Amino acid sequence: MQTKDHKVLVANRGEIAIRIVQACRKLGLAFTCVYTAEDAASGHVRIARELGGDKSLCRVSSYHDANELMAVADDAGATAVHPGYGFFAEDYRFARRVSQRDRKLIFIGPSWRVIRELGDKINTKRLARSLGVPTVPGSDRPIYDEMEAEKVAQSLFEFQEQQGVRKPLVLVKASAGGGGMGIEEVYDIDLFRSVYRRIRNYALRQFKDEGVLIEQRIRDFNHLEVQVVSDRSGRNPVHFGTRNCSIQSTGLQKRIEIAPGFDPSSIEYGFDAAQVLRDITQHSLAMARKVGYDNVGTWEWIVTRDGRPFLMEVNTRIQVENGVSATIARVRGQKGVDLIAEQIRIGLGEPLGYGQEDITFEGVGIEYRLIAEDPDNRFTPWVGRVDGFGWPERPWLAMHTHVPSDDPYDIPTEFDPNLALAIIWGKDLAEARERGVEFLDTLVLEGANNAGEPLRSNVRFLRDNTGRILKF
Amino acid sequence: MFDITQLLDEIKASPYEEIVVTAPHTGVVTFTDVREGARVIGPSGTWKEKKGTLLATIERERNQKPIHAVEKGEVKEVLRHLEGAFVEAGTPLVRLRHFLSKDEVLAIILKKALHLFVAPERAKYYFAPDVDKKVKASGASSVSLHEGMDLFIMSRMKREASLAYSGPSGVIYAVYFQHNENVDAGQPLIGVCPPDQLSLIEDVVARVQTEWEERE
Repeated sequence: MQTKDHKVLVANRGEIAIRIVQACRKLGLAFTCVYTAEDAASGHVRIARELGGDKSLCRVSSYHDANELMAVADDAGATAVHPGYGFFAEDYRFARRVSQRDRKLIFIGPSWRVIRELGDKINTKRLARSLGVPTVPGSDRPIYDEMEAEKVAQSLFEFQEQQGVRKPLVLVKASAGGGGMGIEEVYDIDLFRSVYRRIRNYALRQFKDEGVLIEQRIRDFNHLEVQVVSDRSGRNPVHFGTRNCSIQSTGLQKRIEIAPGFDPSSIEYGFDAAQVLRDITQHSLAMARKVGYDNVGTWEWIVTRDGRPFLMEVNTRIQVENGVSATIARVRGQKGVDLIAEQIRIGLGEPLGYGQEDITFEGVGIEYRLIAEDPDNRFTPWVGRVDGFGWPERPWLAMHTHVPSDDPYDIPTEFDPNLALAIIWGKDLAEARERGVEFLDTLVLEGANNAGEPLRSNVRFLRDNTGRILKF
Repeated sequence: MFDITQLLDEIKASPYEEIVVTAPHTGVVTFTDVREGARVIGPSGTWKEKKGTLLATIERERNQKPIHAVEKGEVKEVLRHLEGAFVEAGTPLVRLRHFLSKDEVLAIILKKALHLFVAPERAKYYFAPDVDKKVKASGASSVSLHEGMDLFIMSRMKREASLAYSGPSGVIYAVYFQHNENVDAGQPLIGVCPPDQLSLIEDVVARVQTEWEERE
């Protein structure tokens, strides 16, 4: 079957669904989108109606229901499923079911065995250690027992004291959580039990799984990532550079992502930053080769102030911030790299068609996540209606959004209030920063809630933090 | 205080409600031989464990899901053109005309009589752990409320905040929210009965019980 004969089920919503649709169009592929009642006004529904062919849109009861997705795929004649990020993106059972059912579909992501191997944090750590890759200490699996949890926490406090950490702390997080939700810090072992219980109850309510992870939190670090891409052969992984995602909300959700991960050409670091970037890239590729990684994926690292990297986890999916790597990447000198289109193409079985030597990088990319929230009040989400949203078009700016700019839009309460991703390119860090500030200053983002209070957004937070990007 | 006689008369003037039975999820629909004008029954039994009349089945991934009448009433319309078709979630399948039952009338009237504590935001609501324990052990009416006590956990976008009660002291007489379901801003969460109004509320209940004739 030729690539262009495939039809892709877009098993996601919002901005990522739109980008998958656009990538399908670029590749000449048919697609079908799903949506729920709350999302009827979302941009991905609109684009599916405008651009889609026969059976390109179907209302479902939930994005979380695999049966719904399979039923729609069959009815629409889809041959492949793109999970986007979140939902089923890292669910190996889903990937396995998709590829093993009677009417087989291609899961556009790594094969289910790879997802299972790297989704399991013990396995990932074991694999990393076997290759000499340093990892973050902590509980290697979800803990369900209070006594055991306390023991792990106690040992982490002791470990940090031995390391000379002045204010040791332990991170308690819901195992099934993600994106910075359900995480708390504990500074005192006496308070551990109550925090543990709170997180456990939270996890049970939200995810129906009371498993809790207990980890050491390394303060004062930078959060880096390596973008890996590999075709179905699993033998020739390449990297699309590094990203720095250190500017986060208090809930540890990313707000600004920058590619590349450090900029030793304009900023002085207390360590050999170029060497650290080389190290984490090589470690990531070594692991990818070892497991036969066969799609796009991200290796997440923390780098301490003395320049030591630790592997945190592997995200076996496309990430929100993929576009910021693409904006500085060139393949055989050509601009316009689209990692989602690459993911689909290689996911459907095409060979990658180029090697590491063909990939170069130019300039600096910044991605801002525009979110309706209140950064001064612990990033509390803001809910209401957006009735003014616009920005001047620029050759160096790419906006990805599901929020219409010509119609009012009610933010659904079922999902995070993400409004848009803005990706800015500059020939160097100074120019990228300057353009970033110019973009934020000219952006129009207005609205009001039920009580008539004006829209709250993180625009000022993003602007205030632009000055310190890539500094450590 | 409201006028219960007037309220009852108003409800008696239009004692019907249209109920639309929709597809709970996607799938291929097969209707039963239920016809327009037929009488159907809703769930019954102490815990509503007996299902209502079977109206249709919807098949998805080789699983057949029966779709039952959710209330008793008369079938107004069966959307037969959907027979054998693959439908989207939420597609209307059957319209019923439902005659209000005693309990429903009582609920409508109680909503006017009780002090309602409403949802400040569209969110999911849960009773706070201490309250939840009491509710589970001996029912919502065992919880006595006072101004400022932690009553709810409000959950939006997976973020949780506690919500304190404000209003007159009293007991919880009615609970209007469902576990894990969103409640819109301004919709009531609970109905509270202050102790001095308990006898009044009981009078209302008694009147509805005697005056409302349930029709088939």
